[in-house]
Amino acid sequence: MTAAVVPFLESMREAAAQARLPGSGLAWLDAARDEAMRAFTEDGLPDQRNELWKYTSLRALARHGFAARDDEAATRGVDIDRLLLPGVDGPCAVFVNGAFRADLSSFEELPQGVRVRSLADALRDDAEPLRFLLAGRAGDDDDGFMLLNRALAADGLLVDVAGGVRAGVPLHVVHAGVAARAATAWHLRSLIELGEGARLDIVEHHVDDAGTGHLANLVCDVNVHERARLDWTIVQRAGEDATLLRRCQVRLHDEAALDLHELELGGKLARHELRVDLAGERSRFDQRGAFALHGRRHVDMEVLVTHRGRDSVSDAIWRGVAGGRARGVVHGRILVQSGADGADGSFYNKNLLLSPDAEIDTRPALEIYADEVKANHGATVGQIDEGMLFYLRSRGVPLDLARHMLVRAFCAVALDGIQPAALREHCEALLAEQLPELAE
Amino acid sequence: MLKIENLHARIGGKEILKGLSLQVKAGEVHAIMGPNGAGKSTLGNVLAGRPGYEVTEGTVTFDGANLLGMEPEARAAAGVFLAFQYPVEIPGVNNTYFLRAALNAQRKARGEAELDSVEFLKLVRAKVKDMGMTPELLNRAVNEGFSGGEKKRNEVFQMALLEPRLAILDETDSGLDIDALKQVAAGVNALRSPDRGFLVITHYQRLLDYIVPDFVHVLADGTIVESGDARLARELEAHGYAWVRERRPAEADA
Amino acid sequence: MMATQPDELQAALSRRYDAGFVTDIEAFSLPPGLDEDTIHALSALKEEPEWMTDWRLQAYRRWLKMAPPAWAHLKLAPIDFQAISYYSAPKNRPKSLDEVDPKLLEAYDKLGVPLHERARLAGVAVDAVFDSVSVANTARDQLAKVGVIFCSMSEAIREHGDLVREYLGSVVPQGDNYFAALNSAVFSDGSFVFIPEGVRCPMELSTYFRINAGHTGQFERTLIIAEAGSMVSYLEGCTAPMRDDNQLHAAVVELVALERANIKYSTVQNWYPGDENGKGGIYNFVTKRGECRGDDSRISWTQVETGSAITWKYPSCVLRGDRSVGEFHSVALTHHHQQADTGTKMVHIGRDTKSKIVSKGISAGRSQNSYRGLVKVGKDAVNARNHTRCDSILIGKQCGSHTFPYVEVKNPTAIVEHEASTSKISDDQLFYCRSRGIGEEDAVSMIVDGFCKQVFRELPMEFAVEAKKLLEVSLEGAIG
Repeated sequence: MTAAVVPFLESMREAAAQARLPGSGLAWLDAARDEAMRAFTEDGLPDQRNELWKYTSLRALARHGFAARDDEAATRGVDIDRLLLPGVDGPCAVFVNGAFRADLSSFEELPQGVRVRSLADALRDDAEPLRFLLAGRAGDDDDGFMLLNRALAADGLLVDVAGGVRAGVPLHVVHAGVAARAATAWHLRSLIELGEGARLDIVEHHVDDAGTGHLANLVCDVNVHERARLDWTIVQRAGEDATLLRRCQVRLHDEAALDLHELELGGKLARHELRVDLAGERSRFDQRGAFALHGRRHVDMEVLVTHRGRDSVSDAIWRGVAGGRARGVVHGRILVQSGADGADGSFYNKNLLLSPDAEIDTRPALEIYADEVKANHGATVGQIDEGMLFYLRSRGVPLDLARHMLVRAFCAVALDGIQPAALREHCEALLAEQLPELAE
Repeated sequence: MLKIENLHARIGGKEILKGLSLQVKAGEVHAIMGPNGAGKSTLGNVLAGRPGYEVTEGTVTFDGANLLGMEPEARAAAGVFLAFQYPVEIPGVNNTYFLRAALNAQRKARGEAELDSVEFLKLVRAKVKDMGMTPELLNRAVNEGFSGGEKKRNEVFQMALLEPRLAILDETDSGLDIDALKQVAAGVNALRSPDRGFLVITHYQRLLDYIVPDFVHVLADGTIVESGDARLARELEAHGYAWVRERRPAEADA
Repeated sequence: MMATQPDELQAALSRRYDAGFVTDIEAFSLPPGLDEDTIHALSALKEEPEWMTDWRLQAYRRWLKMAPPAWAHLKLAPIDFQAISYYSAPKNRPKSLDEVDPKLLEAYDKLGVPLHERARLAGVAVDAVFDSVSVANTARDQLAKVGVIFCSMSEAIREHGDLVREYLGSVVPQGDNYFAALNSAVFSDGSFVFIPEGVRCPMELSTYFRINAGHTGQFERTLIIAEAGSMVSYLEGCTAPMRDDNQLHAAVVELVALERANIKYSTVQNWYPGDENGKGGIYNFVTKRGECRGDDSRISWTQVETGSAITWKYPSCVLRGDRSVGEFHSVALTHHHQQADTGTKMVHIGRDTKSKIVSKGISAGRSQNSYRGLVKVGKDAVNARNHTRCDSILIGKQCGSHTFPYVEVKNPTAIVEHEASTSKISDDQLFYCRSRGIGEEDAVSMIVDGFCKQVFRELPMEFAVEAKKLLEVSLEGAIG
């Protein structure tokens, strides 16, 4: 296993050796980073025997080395307008090649009680409060990328919404990859905290230049306290040669809610491992997601929901469309732990396979250890419905347009709830842009 | 306008139409009646170009052009409209968007200017009003959650909007109560004109009380076995389809 | 004639695990332990030809290099393969039914399997496997007339060596998995069925397996070959006595369906599940696979699994022939400390292939019940169709029910649909039954029976009756 990962492993080792990461010199942080690097060196990258990586091979990635940083990331000129999504022109946090850009970000419109900082700044100012986040012991669930993140995270976003505060305006978070001297790897660690009864909207945008070939390894912890609510929209347009690995760990306390919309369009490899812990009673997780892939894109959506609180609810719907030589992977697991009586979990995934070289692997799973439970899942793989296609054509709609209409309709359930309307329309347009290439 | 000669067609390897011939001129309303399994719906589907129906023999021309060689959308653009027996639900496709896409595609194919959204909305609202339908239907997905009757009325509404030259109504009366039947018939009658032909496929004579046909044809076992005027429909109602079958050999001998 | 059946079964299956008697028959066993000498000895005892001995040795050498599977959802103690005896046979092997030890026949009576009765009345040919050696085989003459071969695997190796050589291991290769490799090395006996071209087997073929001697593993090997245009229905019933220790059962079943052939394989499995505290019980690790090798062939698996401490089996279909069809119908019920991990694999290779999966899981007590299934549509499997429906009910707070489907599709003309639900047994249904005067336990049985109906319908009549009774017995004490 380790023999094959030499270039990747070496580049990561070098990154660790030469790094002057923010917070370096703090004994606890150095120790945690060293330990994680040691563990990574031992474990290497996850392989396909790991159930969560069953359909995503990292053999190709392992043959690549990555530069430890883009030295000019803090100063590179970028066209900010291209990075921002319509409908969210308020406060924004912008990362370019893994570095927080204060010059491009603005938080003035955020109300009192909403605090946004970069991890690098926070480590310089006062690292101690971050100890619980960064010095936590490696867990059984930590795969190679999580370990790398523990060892090498140099920046990230810290958002804190005080109890009872409603942010009012959405916070735009942009992760941009732009051309650098070499293909670069970056690791970000973020934390989002919503106090009791707080409300926050986040619109996250992943957008890259072509040809960057970078690796972004993002880990985000989210804590939504009692009766707080997070509305989160993710638009992912990673570059076609970029690798984007995201792991997001959400804990929902009593009556807390997470409402997530996700549109995944890009990436040579784009993975989102979302772990939602419905720890609190009557906590609720809703997700509506769609991916539409062409070329050689590979998207891997791992949705791992754990019901621990009584009467907790999860409701996820994913739609996938794969054309070209693309591969879509969906894993939706609902785990209901003993004691989570009244839990109601559902996960539905439908897919359209549009080309002979595309592939869909879908895997819903139920693990139930309580009896007062409702749990359902479903998964389908199929094609555009012939009856619908004929109906549209019989009314004069040309074949290509009819196909587009039906693919858009297929994904509509994932996009319909996106707010504001301007953003939703933009998402629809982004999806429409993909359509002509999907059938190839 | 429509000329069908010796049409043979099959689906799934089974021959359904076995040498059907029929001519519809502009301004005429033809009713096709017949027992279940006679091939009535197959005829409608073959004319509209539904995939899976294989024509093995015969010709169909529409205004002199070979209809069978045209894609479904080209047939629609040429003016052929099929009101489906079972209109499919298409969740996620907004009705207004769908109708505008259809109308503009047809206009474009005919070399007419496309309608912008303001013009289109004006037109579609007027047609909704004419048909006595609720404007709310425009915001819904195509046929989604419509009752059986609403679906059938929606088909006639689409016909009114798209103004075809040949309208084929495939058992548009089935499953309708008397009020809905009258509404549908009124919609169709309003569209009767000297330059438009109708092919009304029905199992029962009831509809023909409201849409009085110029010609009635009885379809049995894939061919037209009897033709006449509106009186034929009433005789059928009185005697049943068995009556035609009994008469047929006698006529053949004669 | 069927009218007497329920009463017999009623008595046989009355309460508790009544199949759990120990038959006192002298047995000849090899001493525990496994090495190449054991295999030579086993093969010699069975008077096998050299090719068979070599085949076993080859499998054994493979097995040595393999690691036991990492159990996904199962908890078990490591198995000491050296503590198992790999051969146990009743002494004084009978030549015909009349010579069968009366105690053995009595044993079958207790199981509700009155051998000759069943053979005569129900038109079932019974090849009873008592421990490892086939002891009785009825109705062979009738089968021989139409050219059907139905005999023990040992006999088939001696009498029909060419057929066995051609097909053995062709569906489940030696190295397929750890237990298949072990079985290939040490299989003791089993059934062999050959249905010649165009023959519709005139009766249901049935084998009753039974593990009797303590500390013996049972390693049957079953091979069914259905030639072009033939048809066969095969029934397998399994019971085992109560023992405090765990016994290993690692069978391999291979089915080959050639063009237009149709094989229906039904199992009712009630091996000893262990006691309420999880002590004892069978480890049931079985590899069952059928290959629809010819065009338009069909293989259908139906199973009712109520027994064993641990069940690990995935009766599968490889749909190689064009237009071939695979089906899997399953009821798996677990109670007390039982663990079941069962499901199927449908591998679509040919064009226009179809598969259907219906799985019903019932978990009670502290048991764990998992469905694990794979539907795989290969690149060339044009127009493949699959429909899967998995439902599970939970009875009680300490059991678990899990569903792990895998769907892999590489062809854009395929349509694959999977749906699953898990819930508690319905309070409304229970209340409705009880308000009509039906006791709670009976109401549960009734609801569970209804829940399983779709699968029971696939079973031959007498098996369906038995399956229903088994569920009732197995669920006893699940409420309250």
